[in-house]
Amino acid sequence: MNKVYYIIFLPFLFYSMSLVGQTIGTEIGNRAPEIRLPSPAGDTIALSSLKGKMVLLDFWATWCAPCAKEQPELAELYEKYKNAGFTKGKGFEIYGVSMDSKKANWESMINKVGMDWIQVSDLKFWSSPVAKLYNLQELPFNLLIDGNGIILAKNLHGEELQKELAKYLSGK
Amino acid sequence: MKLKLPIIILFALMASFTACSQGPATSQKDPWTQAQLLNPADLAKTINDVHAPQPFIFCIGPQAVIKNSIYIGPTMEKANLDSFKAQLEKLPKDASIVIYCGCCPFSRCPNIRPAFDLLNKMQFKNHKLLNLPQNVKVDWIDKGYPVED
Repeated sequence: MNKVYYIIFLPFLFYSMSLVGQTIGTEIGNRAPEIRLPSPAGDTIALSSLKGKMVLLDFWATWCAPCAKEQPELAELYEKYKNAGFTKGKGFEIYGVSMDSKKANWESMINKVGMDWIQVSDLKFWSSPVAKLYNLQELPFNLLIDGNGIILAKNLHGEELQKELAKYLSGK
Repeated sequence: MKLKLPIIILFALMASFTACSQGPATSQKDPWTQAQLLNPADLAKTINDVHAPQPFIFCIGPQAVIKNSIYIGPTMEKANLDSFKAQLEKLPKDASIVIYCGCCPFSRCPNIRPAFDLLNKMQFKNHKLLNLPQNVKVDWIDKGYPVED
């Protein structure tokens, strides 16, 4: 009798679990909402184009002091993990979304720090629709996303972020 | 053995000195009074009321967000502070003036203090800081208050 129960129940369980994964939102376990914004060169880069990789979605701005301080740390993290194998994605990318309003400031900081990962912005400051989409409350803010676009962790910085990322290393 | 106690005392003194030296950064007095903080709901009401006398609203942060505000730019930069001064020189001392930045929480906003200091120094009588303790998104845009088109 128990067996029958499991046979009926388990598919429902897996189905509902997959639905949770499909929920688009900004909580852990949600699918991260799509972002399509221009890079400094002007070409539109979609967050979904990074499917298959571990992604740090980083919201920052040159006028945000703690964000500026964090960027050199992210540069180290990127260098260390960009080609690493993970259990939930192959390689690591950072998708930096700037809340700046002046292109010159934005570009100058990218070049100064050597932030050679993906950078996008609509240069609309806090009026950016992306700030609303991700319900941003303050900067810095980030989300760690797996190869399927599912949010694994929220707003981790420094050592905590590094530890979280290392947790998913596959050693390949 | 005798030497240990003075060393411990020395370390204790050093530790307390370090703790004290971190103090002033947070306890530094802001240049505005509680009465000079303007409630965002009140400003929104004024902007929405076409018959109400309107204050001069200056954006002294990265970008003008609030409807009818005059963009100056971040007043942490001397050039912007100078251009703010030039604009203020044209106004009577009793003009109703509101400034806002809204980039970051008040505690770490680099623009509001130089701008407010300038207003105090120029002896304005009716100047206020818009109370956006978190930022202009959370405390203005998200509340549906009037924004620039």
